[in-house]
Amino acid sequence: MFKGLAGWFHRLGSPAHFDAFAARWSPWCYLASLPLFAFGLWQALAVVPADYQQGDSFRILYIHVPSAWMSLFVFGLMAFYGAIALVWRIKLCEILAMACAPIGAAFTLITLLTGSIWGKPMWGTWWDWDPRLTTELILLFLYLGVMGLYGAIDDRRAAARAAALLSIVGVALLPIIRYSVVWWNSLHQGQTIRLFGESSMDGSMVLPLWLMVFATKFWFAGSLLSRARADNLRREAGKAWVRERVEKLS
Amino acid sequence: MSYFQYVALAYGVFFAVLAWDFAVPRLQVRRQLREVRKRLARARRQQAAAAVADDGELSR
Repeated sequence: MFKGLAGWFHRLGSPAHFDAFAARWSPWCYLASLPLFAFGLWQALAVVPADYQQGDSFRILYIHVPSAWMSLFVFGLMAFYGAIALVWRIKLCEILAMACAPIGAAFTLITLLTGSIWGKPMWGTWWDWDPRLTTELILLFLYLGVMGLYGAIDDRRAAARAAALLSIVGVALLPIIRYSVVWWNSLHQGQTIRLFGESSMDGSMVLPLWLMVFATKFWFAGSLLSRARADNLRREAGKAWVRERVEKLS
Repeated sequence: MSYFQYVALAYGVFFAVLAWDFAVPRLQVRRQLREVRKRLARARRQQAAAAVADDGELSR
């Protein structure tokens, strides 16, 4: 079984095989996210009662928290792929690492914007230079830096390696974001939802959150495959397998 | 305390960004495939033109 799995991974490293894999599975990942989004949003907006202090504004957390988690998760994954690309020079890992950046930037932007929209009625301001907000903003700049660096160098492989290095250095920011509410006396609320152990959030409010968390994970998988496929096609545009695929399509 | 406009704005931002994230890679793939298709068509035209030129050489 292990041999079979290793062989499958080995084949997936081939650009032609990856293109077929991504074209096949990306729509399924998006599709899998849709019922989770639909059920999660219905629960979040229609079923869960309003918070006794925050009223309906707390419903923003059902998009804010999963996006914030994704912003950290995607950066970690990007650095992981980047490290593999730097050490073993696997082209597909370069492509996957670089495909992570715009998706992570999108989730970070959602986190910042929805947090700001929630902050206006709750804190009385759109923005505060609070450690959690500031570090999340730096994370967005890091994502933009990775994307900018990748786009600035003509040689795709050299560009991917330089950007991968930046993403690995940037990983140091992740624990700072995670523990910023613990290390500093912060305006941002502390941890209320725990993966392990009891959350301080009422049980009836937790289910839609997990649905949205899984929905964003499937969405990310679909988007990652789709973006990696686009970059793979761009790099391989002159190759015979791309011509064959285009001829088959037309 | 409904805060409807804030909730609507936040969810609007969420779906707008996800829509962008969905559309961009699709457009990129389409553009790449279109460029390859154009390149193939150009190569075929050049081949056809070369074949016509070769025929001309022989008939002279």
